[in-house]
Amino acid sequence: MADPRNELVQGTLEMLVLRTLALEPMHGWGIAHRIEQMSGAVFLVTQGSLYPALIRMKRRGWVRTSWRTTENNRRARYYELTAIGASQLDVERAAWQRASEAINGILSPRWALADL
Amino acid sequence: MTILNDLLERARSLLFRRRDERELAEELHTHAAMEAEHRRSRGTSAAEAHRQSILALGGVEPTKEAVRDARGTRLLDDSIGDVAYTLRTLGRSPGFAVVVILTLAIGIGGTTAVFSAVDHVLLQPLPYQSPGQLVRLYGASVQDPNGRGFLSPVHYKAYRTRLNSMDGVATILTYDEKGADIGSGNTVRRIRLLPTSSNYFDVIRVRPAVGQPYQPDAENGSGIEDNTDGGAVVVLSHQLWEDVFHGDPSAIGRTLVMNGRGYTVTGVMPDGFNDPVAGAIDAWVPLDLSQGNDPREAGNHYLSVIARLRPGVTIERAQAEVNSLAVELAREFPQQKDERARLYPLKDDIVGASSRSLEMMLGAVGLVLLLVCVNVANLMLVRGSERTREFAVRAALGAGGGRLVRQLLIESLTLALAGAVAGLIVARLAMSAMVALSAGNIPRLASLSLDPRLLLFALLVATASAVIFGLTPALRAARTQPGDALRDQSRGATSGRRSMRLREWLVVWQVALAFVLLVGASLLLASFRKIADVPLGVNAANVLTFELNLPSARYDSTARGRFYDEFDTRIETIPGVRAAGGISKLPATGPYHQWGAIPTTGPKAAEMQQRAVGAENRTVSGDYFRAAGIPLVAGRYFNASDDLSAPSRVVISADLAKAIFPGVDPIGQSLRTGGRAWEVIGVVGDVSVDNEGRTDFYIYHAHRQFAGDRNWSLTQVVSTTGSPTALEPAIRRELSQADPQLVMFRPMTLEAAIGRGAAQRVFTLKMLATFAVVALALAALGLFGVLSYGVKLRSREFGIRMALGADRPAIRRAVMANGLVVAGIGIAVGLAGAVALARTMASLMFHTSPLDPRVLGAAIVFMTIVAAVAAYIPAYRATAVDPRSALQ
Repeated sequence: MADPRNELVQGTLEMLVLRTLALEPMHGWGIAHRIEQMSGAVFLVTQGSLYPALIRMKRRGWVRTSWRTTENNRRARYYELTAIGASQLDVERAAWQRASEAINGILSPRWALADL
Repeated sequence: MTILNDLLERARSLLFRRRDERELAEELHTHAAMEAEHRRSRGTSAAEAHRQSILALGGVEPTKEAVRDARGTRLLDDSIGDVAYTLRTLGRSPGFAVVVILTLAIGIGGTTAVFSAVDHVLLQPLPYQSPGQLVRLYGASVQDPNGRGFLSPVHYKAYRTRLNSMDGVATILTYDEKGADIGSGNTVRRIRLLPTSSNYFDVIRVRPAVGQPYQPDAENGSGIEDNTDGGAVVVLSHQLWEDVFHGDPSAIGRTLVMNGRGYTVTGVMPDGFNDPVAGAIDAWVPLDLSQGNDPREAGNHYLSVIARLRPGVTIERAQAEVNSLAVELAREFPQQKDERARLYPLKDDIVGASSRSLEMMLGAVGLVLLLVCVNVANLMLVRGSERTREFAVRAALGAGGGRLVRQLLIESLTLALAGAVAGLIVARLAMSAMVALSAGNIPRLASLSLDPRLLLFALLVATASAVIFGLTPALRAARTQPGDALRDQSRGATSGRRSMRLREWLVVWQVALAFVLLVGASLLLASFRKIADVPLGVNAANVLTFELNLPSARYDSTARGRFYDEFDTRIETIPGVRAAGGISKLPATGPYHQWGAIPTTGPKAAEMQQRAVGAENRTVSGDYFRAAGIPLVAGRYFNASDDLSAPSRVVISADLAKAIFPGVDPIGQSLRTGGRAWEVIGVVGDVSVDNEGRTDFYIYHAHRQFAGDRNWSLTQVVSTTGSPTALEPAIRRELSQADPQLVMFRPMTLEAAIGRGAAQRVFTLKMLATFAVVALALAALGLFGVLSYGVKLRSREFGIRMALGADRPAIRRAVMANGLVVAGIGIAVGLAGAVALARTMASLMFHTSPLDPRVLGAAIVFMTIVAAVAAYIPAYRATAVDPRSALQ
């Protein structure tokens, strides 16, 4: 049975991960869980999309990793935002804002509101 | 920065692939565990939480694959895996890998070596400016328009001044190899001189690197041969300049003493310059061409001529002009009215004789390479079908067709690369072997070396073979339906039989190619035997020869004549010496000095006044005829009475006696040759002019009567009762007593001296024999491999048949019959190929038909025996199978 929740909007996963990591260093499950929570359980992040994205971000130098112990005494790999990653978040956020304003603009045009 | 980071990360993940994989697995596991824990904490049962978490997160394996993709090292990663896998599987069947690599090594190495030799000797242009314009101008005749004779100085001068299509016509003296002694006492050393016309350096367009060539007035002959000082000049080779003058540029203008007299050095040739025609020369001296002004010398042929075509002039157009000039000259010199001339491109001329044997070898190596390809293809096919099940399992486990194809390509690439490396080693060895085998008789081969283009060539061959051989089984495997192969093994047997037919066809070709090579090598061997057996008119066994040059500065003609006779007498006192003498050119080593001869007495005297016959003229001293084993037919040999005070006397060969004095006793008759009248005092046996048994007319002169003509350096001939070379020290002692400054130059047996002309054939023969053995081995291996595999495929069938009571000999016969049928078809195809090649091979044959039934018959028998052995082993194995184990 298919999960009723949505996959992420194409190309936004990395931005969301950056945003999540901007708060504090986190392990993979933590990232996925936080995105799910923050999206009001709308978005589900599968391992299949999360980990390749993390690897890509690490290659670009946006995040660095370290193995740490969780509060439940598990060994887990923690991802942490780098300076490059932080500025990348700003870049992506700005781009997203421009894009979403434009999309919103198209979906609910002001001239239509004026007509009402 | 980001790019650098990216590269570092990729490199890191390559280096730490294992650790990354382990950590990724751990990370994904932790992730799943956290997810399950989270769900459980919300009240789901442990089992259900686990199930749900797996569903929610997606499959572990696809995630791993996606992560590997993201690492950006995927292709490399897989390839490394494939290579590692290849090495593991090849390690499990090292025999297969070794056979394939060796087969490839032979193919790649042999091809590279022979290709490099052919490239080096045939394809690369001559190292002279515009070499395509250089031609050889040979003397020919109406009777033999394609002749390759010498020119007279008179004709040479006419061609030099009157041909408009030529940008220079030069001449060199090659027929009479000039040596000179330099230094004195114990340090005396013999060097090679090349007398040339003064325009020679302009015609080949190579000027001295230091100084300049000699001037045109050097050709008038003043002071070249006589003892008067003045005018004698020399151009040195770079090596001689280094040796004598230590590379000092001030050597120009200084004097080099050769044969006891001074030559002024005018120039030094560039380093590495090799004379295009004469090869390794130490010094160039002006050629005395004053004879060219004397019409009486028009019948005196001794000049080699090189010319340069004017730009844009074709050799055909130049030949037309040469033809019309030759007709003009025939009118001007009626005694030489049949004389013509012929142009050949210089390059063809230099490599002509060897090009045939090299082309033959190129053909042979091509056949071997084909055989190698067929063999490797066969091996790969056999291995491919053996692994059908393995491929099927891997396909069922999710490996895509492309993945399998890539795996197999990497496998064949690995093999091919190993083969290429081994091939280069083989090439290196083969090239040294070729240089050693050719013993300096293939022009330009000695400077052969491995060059980078050949490396590329070898790699191309290797890669091409990898793709071709690897692809067939890979494509076959990619088409395999995994289910089919897994479900029923016996189904594999039918498809196995289909591929069996392809392999049998490949074996047919293997046998055919090997057969052609075998026939070629056998025919050359037969020819070579015939050459060794052909009577030359001399007794070459137990005869030592060496050159002895008496410098004009210390020996006048009388002294020279006396010295040779006295020296020969001295040598004859050495125990073990039967007879000793000297001759101006050894028998059977090629034409030399030809003069027209006209009988002045006898029945043909009147008729032949205007029509001289050409005859080889030789000057002899001492007991030459006895030393060379030339029998006396009539009259007498020369003796001490034949000196300058006696009338001019000659000894002629039996054929010449018959031709110019038919029906009369030739003794006491007279003839004219070389502008003088001679009385015939003896007739001797005919002697071959080359080592293939072609005889010519001979006129022998006594050196003491002839010595004043010019400085004949006589080659000494000493016949012995035992080993000729064992006498060398004794002869050296005699020589140093007679004149301590003289040098025993190039001592060798007469057999070796005569055999030198056959060296190219021997070389080709040795190479072809090697190829034939390799081809035979490859064909036997191929036949053996295919039959063995066939037996393996049918082992169940044999088991059933034996269990049902079939007797072993019957099965053995069946397997052997199968092998012999395949071999038989191969031999039939090969026979057709050999017949087709017969015309190409005919030119290499000597008194041997390329379709010699004995040679073909022997090849068939030999091939059949090899095939029978190759078939017997699997046949024997087939019947050694225990029926029960075959059925299980």
